[in-house]
Amino acid sequence: MPSQVNQPLPGGYVLNGYRIDKPLSSGGFSIVYLARDESGTPFAIKEYLPSSLALRSEGTEVRIEDEANLSTFRHGLKCFFEEGRALALISHPNVVRVENFFRANETVYMVMQYVRGRTLQFHIQRNRAEFTETFIRRIFIHLMNGLREVHANKLLHLDIKPANVYIAMDGRPVLLDFGAARITLSDEPMKLKPMYTAGFAAPEQYRFQPGELGPWSDIYSVGASMYTCIAGTPPQAADARLEKDRLIPLRTLARQSYSDELYSIVEACLKLDHLERPQTAFELQKLLMVEPQDAGRRRFLDTLNKPISKFFSR
Amino acid sequence: MRFTIFQDSRQGDRSGNEDRVGYSFSKEVLLMVVADGMGGHDQGEVAAEIAVNEITRQFQQEARNRLRRPQDFLVTAINAAHRAIVSHAVANNLLECPRTTCVACIVQAGVAWWAHAGDSRLYVLRAGQLAAATQDHSRVQQMIDAGTLTPETAATHPDRNKIYSCLGGVVPPIVAVGGDWTLEQGDTIVLSSDGFWSQIPASLIAGLLRKQDIVGLLPGLITEAHRRAAGESDNLSLVAMTWEAQDDPRHADTQTLEDEQFTTSSNTMELDRPIPHEDVTDEEIERAIAEIQDAIKRVPR
Repeated sequence: MPSQVNQPLPGGYVLNGYRIDKPLSSGGFSIVYLARDESGTPFAIKEYLPSSLALRSEGTEVRIEDEANLSTFRHGLKCFFEEGRALALISHPNVVRVENFFRANETVYMVMQYVRGRTLQFHIQRNRAEFTETFIRRIFIHLMNGLREVHANKLLHLDIKPANVYIAMDGRPVLLDFGAARITLSDEPMKLKPMYTAGFAAPEQYRFQPGELGPWSDIYSVGASMYTCIAGTPPQAADARLEKDRLIPLRTLARQSYSDELYSIVEACLKLDHLERPQTAFELQKLLMVEPQDAGRRRFLDTLNKPISKFFSR
Repeated sequence: MRFTIFQDSRQGDRSGNEDRVGYSFSKEVLLMVVADGMGGHDQGEVAAEIAVNEITRQFQQEARNRLRRPQDFLVTAINAAHRAIVSHAVANNLLECPRTTCVACIVQAGVAWWAHAGDSRLYVLRAGQLAAATQDHSRVQQMIDAGTLTPETAATHPDRNKIYSCLGGVVPPIVAVGGDWTLEQGDTIVLSSDGFWSQIPASLIAGLLRKQDIVGLLPGLITEAHRRAAGESDNLSLVAMTWEAQDDPRHADTQTLEDEQFTTSSNTMELDRPIPHEDVTDEEIERAIAEIQDAIKRVPR
């Protein structure tokens, strides 16, 4: 396999009527660019470009070096379509919206709404004090609305983590990057290894047996994300936990006080046995909406419909 | 060989695109070609299409390893394209033979050769300067040579579009050849139709290339050429190549190609035809995109 790095499209490059501004991020399967259409509206454009396969070290066209890779490239392309197809069917304020989908430069592009804001990851690193119980519950209750919609469309996200949750300027959480969703689609071994992020991926994702994957796999990742909001650091990786479970109990890591109920919810989501977790996003959402026992100091349900933006005064 | 290549062809403000562009390369040889089908003649785009297809086809036949005489090849191929256009007109009972200009360039063993008929141009740009160029087969160029016209006034001269050599004409094309140009790292060769070169002077391209590479620069420059034509833009086409450091691994190396394997790209119909593949066919890809587009339209946002 050549060790070349895929070159992003240059700034100023005009792609199907969108002018590329700059690359925003690049992952194992794609590069995401900030781009603008003729009216100046910003979009996030995702370019399918698996770094292990496709090669673009000159010009703008993606070149595949050998026939076997071409087949794998095209298979991955199919998965990219599945992602686009599923997302196109979802119109929900808590799920990133797909605006356009087209073919160019020998690959395909997905144009998504550009969400102004920061990732949950950014907020965790900067604003630890803001992560009150009320705030965490509210973010995840809203996020479960989006995840329910995803699951209702027979799609698993499989890479939920704070870096893939955007907090829009109005405080609304938006679920992004369905790039890992591909592994639900095929059980054959292939070059496109599933992507998972240590600490957030469910144990069954490491075993890579698609039959075991389900909404509960995303629930594990949601649990790990909530854990990170509270502890400031992700839980021990699931594959290591399967060897020897050294998950540090949340209450010993928490920097501010949270209810026992919240700790229990997070721990339930992080159960290694998937049958012991909340099985659906709706179930988890209901758990999060139950007022904790000593409710005197946190009447979060009262504030549920208020904008979250005030939590980010900066 | 290591080089960066870029091509684009846009309609401008015309109702159709009569320009055709293409490039094709193997391990050791690169071909670039631009043809500008002539408006005012029936089926200009057909002539341009045949020219690019025929020259590319000849190239892929002759350049399996390398061309013995690149310059001779260019002259032969352009004349063969001319004959193919005439045959097409005869076979289809066309009242008038479609015509096209043509400029083509070969790079082999670090040396460039070129040939042209008509007013599609080739520039060689080196170190921010125009280092070599083709001379148009046009009335205004003849007048400039005779000293009766300056290059500045030529741009607005009523006869600026009149050319005396083309493919598909009553007489065979006059083919001018040039080159034997030894490439240095950073040399850029630009082939373009008059829609582009009439708006953007070579010195401007050369100057801007000091700061940006062709892939970053040229798309914007084509847009600028279109804008400068103020709503009357002809078709805008170009193919450009920058010769890279031959040992710089950041640029793809044609050595990875198999012998006798060509990488080809063009805006002609025939050469554009994608390679069928058993697991995901192009039809499937197109269908998937259509489905997604459809879903995007259907689901209220």
